[in-house]
Amino acid sequence: MDFSFTAEQLMFKEQVMRFATKEIVPRVQEHELKGEFDFQSFRKLGEFGILGLHFSEELGGSDVDVVTSVLVGEALGEAGVDGGLTLAYGAHTFLCADTIFAHGTDTQRKKYIPKLASGEWIGCMGLTEPGAGSDVASLATRAKKRGDKYVLNGNKMFITNGPVSDVAVIYAKTGKDLKHAGISAFIVEKGAAGFSTGKNLIKMGVRSSHTSELIFEDCEIPEENLIGQEGAGFTMAMQTVEWDRSALLAPFIGGMTYVLKKCARFAKERYQFGRPIGEFQAIKHKLSDIKIFIEAARSLCYRIAWCKDQGRPLNHLEAAVAKLFVGDWSLNPANDAMVLHGGYGYCHEYEVERYFRDSRLAPIGGGTSEISKRIISKLI
Amino acid sequence: MDFDYSETQRNLREKVKGVFDTDSKASFAKLESGDDDEIRSVVSRYLKALGQVGYLTLGLENEKDTLGLVAAQESLATISPSLFLSVEVNARIFGRLIAVYGTADQKSQFLHDLKEGRLIGAVALSEGGMNIENNPLNTAGVPFGEGFLVAGEKNYVVNAPIAGWIAIAGTVKENIVFFLIKKGSEGLSIGQRLPTMGYNGMAISTISLKNCSALSKYVIGPFEGEEPLKTIRMWEDQILTAGSLGLMHRCYTTALSYAKHHKSGNKPIIAYQEVGFKLAEMLTLLQTAQLLAYRAAWMAETNNRETSVVAHCAKVFCAESAEEVASQALQILGGHGYIDGNPAEEGYRNAKYLQIAGTSAEISRMKIADRVLQMD
Repeated sequence: MDFSFTAEQLMFKEQVMRFATKEIVPRVQEHELKGEFDFQSFRKLGEFGILGLHFSEELGGSDVDVVTSVLVGEALGEAGVDGGLTLAYGAHTFLCADTIFAHGTDTQRKKYIPKLASGEWIGCMGLTEPGAGSDVASLATRAKKRGDKYVLNGNKMFITNGPVSDVAVIYAKTGKDLKHAGISAFIVEKGAAGFSTGKNLIKMGVRSSHTSELIFEDCEIPEENLIGQEGAGFTMAMQTVEWDRSALLAPFIGGMTYVLKKCARFAKERYQFGRPIGEFQAIKHKLSDIKIFIEAARSLCYRIAWCKDQGRPLNHLEAAVAKLFVGDWSLNPANDAMVLHGGYGYCHEYEVERYFRDSRLAPIGGGTSEISKRIISKLI
Repeated sequence: MDFDYSETQRNLREKVKGVFDTDSKASFAKLESGDDDEIRSVVSRYLKALGQVGYLTLGLENEKDTLGLVAAQESLATISPSLFLSVEVNARIFGRLIAVYGTADQKSQFLHDLKEGRLIGAVALSEGGMNIENNPLNTAGVPFGEGFLVAGEKNYVVNAPIAGWIAIAGTVKENIVFFLIKKGSEGLSIGQRLPTMGYNGMAISTISLKNCSALSKYVIGPFEGEEPLKTIRMWEDQILTAGSLGLMHRCYTTALSYAKHHKSGNKPIIAYQEVGFKLAEMLTLLQTAQLLAYRAAWMAETNNRETSVVAHCAKVFCAESAEEVASQALQILGGHGYIDGNPAEEGYRNAKYLQIAGTSAEISRMKIADRVLQMD
């Protein structure tokens, strides 16, 4: 066993943190408060190369391994980037672009990946529907072949980047009576006739990411927009959720480190009863519980990343364990961090309440904790 | 990065398992309910067998191989919790005390026997009404003839009733020393074995020393600071962390097997979410704890500056998760779990020890927080 990062990986993490601290973090609070998508920051992520790290160089990426991609997610969180922007980045790069990169044709890759990697285009992925969440096989969106086109009908729900995206990867049923085997994946571009998005949904947290419904009403797309084969969509979706359960979790863990540093600073500066509150055991207890969570959670994400780097295609158990732990076990430390700040913690200025709200997504998005438990209990 | 066991680690784990056969179950039962002699006999037998497969050299040779150590410890702790603690106190605390701090003569006298499992040792640290975290030791030696006369009282000494040699932590002129005292020495009295809630096969007692003679050649030290005491505590914490992993494995596999075979309403109870989801949580805690324990071991190997704080995190997390996993396992086993002699109820009773012994959960948390407060 070896838990080390390479010198290059650690150096890159430092660079990402410096970049994010200077260029992104100063803009975070304002956009989060207003619930606005920060196009400028998103483009900066693209210019820095973050949006397409693991894609090949000729497609505008940097050809890095999965571990490095996860490390960058942790670095963004640790620098203080909000969960909204890291979620937008995750949905764009891993849920949308990666599906095209991993399963698309050369033509599709050349058409979409460079623009997605640079941030010129924003991507989203539509799997969940108003009536089909955890039960993926029950999705009702249909894609019917008509001549050299597919015609899509149906609705997608809670789609991160929905209102701001240029490209969407959409899962729909091509085999009407088939369950998992009838699901196929398609690329739908903004402006396609019959494709529209709902209004931005106001959320508790991750507010700087925009979320909406996607609506398909006789939406015609060229047949070459099918990704891979008909019926291969479910496998793609399952590989995608592994990203959801590793790279998209890493910013929560990095964010917890950011929050812990704030807690440590506050505990030293805040005096009550004639001494810094950091000297009281009740406060120290909270600080250590947050630290224990971070140390416990980190390796879970890197284990999945490492498995992917080893070429192990499906790591459902590892992914579900990581998702369950980060989702459910982060709730108390996130709460501790806020409570430790007293009244200040409840105010927007101190950022811990933002983290508290953002982290509430961890047990819900990308597969609920209950789904993780269901997967684990079926695999053991 | 690499999340797999190495070939060497995998081999040693297999060899450790190979020491035990179907008859071992009866020996373990004897260990849990036996008197001092029976415990000594079972421990001695397995010490020799573990010595033959190389288990006892870990930590004594190639001191840095902490990952290999934890991998092997996890394996033994899963097989027999009481035997594990007894063997570890012997090899990794008494043994390492000599290997790291002992004189050349002491090493040549003890280490060979320790590696072959022919000697049981104990280390006496704690004293009544105090602990070594924030109080000086009252046990002290005064110069006498070719050595010292030692007086003091020690609490909770693991292996004391079965040990051939005991290392007593004390002071000489306020400097910390360890007096190596042989069983039966004049002035050394071993108290009655203390009845305990868990780890019943681990012999534990008080020790009293009244003008007990220790020759200079059997003294380790003197040490100016408290470093050796801290190091021993660290070794102890590491053992308890690995012990927590073993406890979780035992409880989890027992509950999993029961949930797959026990039926209710014509289907195995694992098919019910109330049971299946508990198992999912247990496995999540187990795997998370495992990764944390191994990362702490890796840090120790690589002299990472976070080694100490992550080791404390691992100790707290693993020990507390062990209690949770044992509790859930017992719940899944229902009435079967409540009957004496199954790994779930045994694990539930054992679990508390892991949080109390070594650096307690409370002191660990304060130490973690002290480090956190230095963060920025």
